[in-house]
Amino acid sequence: MKNYSKITPEGTKDFLFEECLSTRTVSYILGEVFSQRGFHEVLTPGVEFYDVFSNPAAQIPQENMFKLSDSKGRLMVVRPDSTLPIARMTATRLQNEVLPIRLYYNQRVYRNNRGLTGRSNEVMQTGIELLGISGKRADLEIITTAIEALTRCVPDFRIELGHAGFFKALLNKLPVSDNEREDIHSFIEAKNYSALNSFLDTLEQTKAVAAIRRLPRLFGGEEVLNEASELCDDKDALRPLEYLKEIYDCLTKFGLGERLMIDLGLAQRNDYYSDIVFSGYVEGSGEPVLIGGRYDKLLDIFDSPMPASGFGINVDTLAKVMLSRGQIKMKPLPDVLVHGDDSFEVKSIKHYQALTQSGLICENSVFSTRDEAIAYAKKKGIARIDFVNEEVETVLLN
Amino acid sequence: MKPLRIALTKGRLEKDTIGLLESAGYDCTAVREKGRKLILPIGDGDIEVVLAKAADVITYVENGVCDLGVVGKDTIMENGSCFFEILDLGFGKCRFALAGKGGRSAEEFFSGYGEKTIATKYPNVARNFFEGKGMDIRVIKIEGSVELAPLLGLADAIVDIVETGSTLRENGLTIIEDNVAPISARLIANTASLKLRKAEIEALAQKMEEERRKSS
Repeated sequence: MKNYSKITPEGTKDFLFEECLSTRTVSYILGEVFSQRGFHEVLTPGVEFYDVFSNPAAQIPQENMFKLSDSKGRLMVVRPDSTLPIARMTATRLQNEVLPIRLYYNQRVYRNNRGLTGRSNEVMQTGIELLGISGKRADLEIITTAIEALTRCVPDFRIELGHAGFFKALLNKLPVSDNEREDIHSFIEAKNYSALNSFLDTLEQTKAVAAIRRLPRLFGGEEVLNEASELCDDKDALRPLEYLKEIYDCLTKFGLGERLMIDLGLAQRNDYYSDIVFSGYVEGSGEPVLIGGRYDKLLDIFDSPMPASGFGINVDTLAKVMLSRGQIKMKPLPDVLVHGDDSFEVKSIKHYQALTQSGLICENSVFSTRDEAIAYAKKKGIARIDFVNEEVETVLLN
Repeated sequence: MKPLRIALTKGRLEKDTIGLLESAGYDCTAVREKGRKLILPIGDGDIEVVLAKAADVITYVENGVCDLGVVGKDTIMENGSCFFEILDLGFGKCRFALAGKGGRSAEEFFSGYGEKTIATKYPNVARNFFEGKGMDIRVIKIEGSVELAPLLGLADAIVDIVETGSTLRENGLTIIEDNVAPISARLIANTASLKLRKAEIEALAQKMEEERRKSS
C-alpha cells in the first residue's frame, strides 16, 4: 500500500515563518478594524451537519464539500463557508439579542476544488456580519468597513458595486423557465457574451431582453448607471439603480474616487444575495480578495427571518500579496543568545527574561559549552552573546 | 506598467489570432519568428503573447498569471469555469456532434432503456449533453482517434468535434445529432484583470472585434 505520510493533501500546505507571520498579521490588522467598530468575534464549529449548507440558495455544490459522518451515520461537512453557520447560530443562540448584531470571524474554510489546478482547498477567511438591520446606513457601514479593512493592508485596491435586484428585475421580465433563468445567471456571472446572446436570440426581442444583452458590459464608472437606466423603464429595475447611485455618491464623498467601480453584471456565486453586492480586487491576485453584500433572505433558511449583510476577505491571498510587496517583515533574528555557564542556568534564565522585557528578542542557549553556543550563534547570524557567570559578559560577534 | 499578457492556444488559433492582431495594427514579427521561445512581445511591448496548449490557456488565465487567453469553446465547455468569456472571435469554427455506426436516426438512438456507452475525448461535454436529454450514460474517455471505439465495439456512439465529417464517413460512421454544440475561438479574461486593467483589455477586445467584423 502506498504510504502518504510525507505529503500534505492536495490544496493544503504548511505555512512556515514569514508565510505564517503574514496571515497572522493580516488577521490581526483586520480583527483590530472590526473590533474597533464594535464587532465581536465568534468561532463556529469546524464540522457541521450537511443540512446547514445544502440549501440551494447557498449554491455550494455538494462535490465541493468535504464530507464525513458522525457516530449515528449522519452526514457532516468540514466548514465550507462561515456566513451560513453564523446565520444558524444567530437564529438559534442570539434570538433575544439587541439588534443589530455585529459579529466577525476569522477561521479557515474548506472547499474540495477540482484537482491539480493550483487552488487552495483550505483558506483562512475573515469577515463581518451585520444582522437584524437593513437600509442605506447599514449598507454604508458594511462597505466602509470593507474599505477601511483593505486600506490598512493594501491601499491600491478597487471596490466594485453591483445590485442583485437590478438583474433579478430584468430576469423576471423574461418569459423563461427557472432552469433557463439559472443559465442566464451563470452566463452573466461568467461574462459569457456569446452564450448569452445565442440564448437571448431565441426569445422575443423586448426591452428587457436588450437590457440583459448589455448587462455583462455594464461595468465601469458612474456613466454605467445612466446607460442602464436608459435601457429599461421597469420600476423594479430602476429602483436598484437609484439606490446604487446614492451609495456611489456617498462613497465618492468618502474619497474612493477612481478606485470605485460599478458592475451591474456582478452576480455573486451565492444566490442568497438580494440587494447590493460588492467585491474587492487587488493587483497581484487573480481573483477577488473580498466578496460581500446584502442577503436579507438568508436567515429564512433557519426560520428566523431578519435582514443581514456582510463580507468575507480571503486572508491568505491578501497575506501573499503583502508578503510579495515586502510589507511583512521576514523571520526576525534573535538579538541576543544568552548562555549560562554550569550552575548558572537559573541566573541565565532570569537574565534573558530581563532582556526580553526590555524589548529584545532573546534565545536561551541550551548547549553545554560556550564553544557550542558561539558556533551556533555564528551559524544562525546572531550578533551578540551574553555569557552568564558571576558577572554577565557581553560578546559581540563579527 | 506590466505588459498585458495574452495566452494563445498553439497552432491554428494562434495563427488566426496573430493574423487578427496584425490587421488591427500590432507588430507581431516576434511571434512570426519565434523559434522555440514561448513568451513573446508584440506591438510596442505593451502586450506579451504566451503560447500554450488549449487546456493550459485556461489554467494560466484562471490563476491570473495571464490576463487574457484565446481558446476554443470546446476546451471551455470541457474545463470551465472561473474566468470571463468576453468575445467570440469567429474563427476556429466547428461543432460537437454525436455519431455512431449503422445509420441510426436520432429517434432510434435515443429510444429504449438499454444503457448507452459513449466514447469521447470530452467526458464533461458528453455527460452534459445527455443530461440535457434526461439520459444516464456510461462515458469512456479515449485520448486518440475516438472513431475507433464504436468500430471496435467498445461504444455505441461518440461525441466529438466535427468539421467536414469526412473522417466519420471514411470510417463508416454517421451523424446521429449534428449540432450538439457549436464551437469557435473565444477571448477569455481573468476575473481580477478585467477589473484592474479594464481600459486596456476593453480597448484590445474592441479592436479585435472590429477586425473580426471586417473580415467576416
